[in-house]
Amino acid sequence: MRRAALLLVYSLKRIRVLALTAGLLLAAFQLVLIFVAGSIQSSGGFDQLRALLPPFARELLGPSVAAFMSFSGIVCLGYFQLAVMGALIAIAVTLATTPASEVETGFMDLILARPLARHWVITRTIALTTLVSAFLLALMVAGTWTGLRMFAPKGVEWPSATLVNSLAVNLGMLALCWGGVAMAIGAASNRRSVAGGAAGLLALASFLLDYVGRLWQPAQSVAWLSPFRYYNPFDLITGSPLPYKNLVVLGGIAFAGFAAAYVLFARRDISH
Amino acid sequence: MAPISIRGLTKEYGNVLAVDNLNLEAVQGEILGFLGLNGAGKTTTIRILLDLLRPNSGNAFLLGHDCQTDGLRARANIGYLPGEMGIYSDLTGREVLDLLAGLNGHVIDKQRRRELQDRLEFPESDLRRRLREYSTGMKRKLGLIQAFQSDPLLLILDEPTEGLDPLMQESFYKLLVDAKQRGRTVFMSSHVLSEVERVCDRIALIRKGELVLLSSVEELRKLAARQVRVFFAEDVPVISVPGSEVIETGPRSWTLKIEGPLAPLLRTIATLPVRDLEIEEAKLEDVILKYYRDGTREIEREIEREIEQ
Repeated sequence: MRRAALLLVYSLKRIRVLALTAGLLLAAFQLVLIFVAGSIQSSGGFDQLRALLPPFARELLGPSVAAFMSFSGIVCLGYFQLAVMGALIAIAVTLATTPASEVETGFMDLILARPLARHWVITRTIALTTLVSAFLLALMVAGTWTGLRMFAPKGVEWPSATLVNSLAVNLGMLALCWGGVAMAIGAASNRRSVAGGAAGLLALASFLLDYVGRLWQPAQSVAWLSPFRYYNPFDLITGSPLPYKNLVVLGGIAFAGFAAAYVLFARRDISH
Repeated sequence: MAPISIRGLTKEYGNVLAVDNLNLEAVQGEILGFLGLNGAGKTTTIRILLDLLRPNSGNAFLLGHDCQTDGLRARANIGYLPGEMGIYSDLTGREVLDLLAGLNGHVIDKQRRRELQDRLEFPESDLRRRLREYSTGMKRKLGLIQAFQSDPLLLILDEPTEGLDPLMQESFYKLLVDAKQRGRTVFMSSHVLSEVERVCDRIALIRKGELVLLSSVEELRKLAARQVRVFFAEDVPVISVPGSEVIETGPRSWTLKIEGPLAPLLRTIATLPVRDLEIEEAKLEDVILKYYRDGTREIEREIEREIEQ
């Protein structure tokens, strides 16, 4: 346990610059988004945007349009904007494939030549992925509240703390889910690029599957297979409570990935 | 309790047999050289000992503990130097040493580390630098320090002098001798035959995954062919000498290659007008290279026949 903690500390030390830079950028993005939303709100732009939307689009998107095209909705966009989701998932995948990178460089030989059980390597990686993902989300939430205090126009309705936290938790679980998938692949791989690439392609395919499933009726029957189906920010914005079923599904996938990683890594040959 | 005990070890990669029914034991306090050409199975064997690879059959024990079923205890008191030092290039040398010492679970003996630094000419200022700034030789020295720093009972070294300059090789040999004097066991793979001849007590030679030779350096040296030149005071006819191979003959000199005892030659030339006799020291390399080239049981039988004669 003490050895695994030591390994975790060194791993955290190694990625501290990446984590801090990514966290500050994500937090800065929240500030910019709130500044833009404040400007649109002050100029009465949201009413004009809603009026410009054609009726068929309003019908297609449902009541979430009204909720999204508001100051509060744009603030929440910081939690489901494609680049933000992509960055969080990419970082989770990168961290989750740390064992593959260590096998590739030969560092794993030095680690495992010590009296350290293999399962601690995976436990360290889970802790690393979870801690850094949580840190990034915490900085994003901090960015949101800082931005609201700095740039929100007077009298405008802020998104509730429950809404912001629900979005952050659901997004965090989505990132962790992909971390779990990547960890399972990475535990059996000798190359981080192969493991990360495979996990990234799977994530992209899943995203497209979910996207198509939302727009095209026949694809809905298989869209449930996509983990992205279990992150519905528009439902949360319209006031729905955080569906725990979604968290259970995403957490379940992550857990299955972690469990597979333990088994695969324990049984594999370490050769580079 | 043998520091290393390998019993019937076999490892296959698909259809390729990397290690074939290997049996080997190291004796406490010895330096055992593990020789073989590239792809002979040396590194595979070492990786099985460290439980990095899983054998298809057989067992390996380190310090009395099964490497697979009791791996943590087996690896609790060993120092390992891999063939290639794969280390985080963004860490400093000191961070790497601290991390690896910590993972060993040993308290860092700063005095011992400083002594190793001095002997390998690795100053504190270099330890403060990041590994990306290190040369190949510096990484190798760092690798040696991390392997020796906890003064383990057993050292497993994969090509230890690769990338070291001749001066550092000398320092390394002295480290090995010191370790041996303190009763430590060293198991090292190497390509450098002169190095093996100089520092090892015994040699295990592996070819295509099979152990083809296990002998003490002293015994092996006895088997090595010696080149003998005999100079005569007057012209002599060529006479065949049992157990020798004629390389060159002249009216007043013979050059012969002799494996085994010199007695038959001495008997033959006893009645001849010998002016001088030159005997070149036996080269271990010749025997080992023969195994590298042929590597069959035939050679063993051939040598056994010669010994019997």
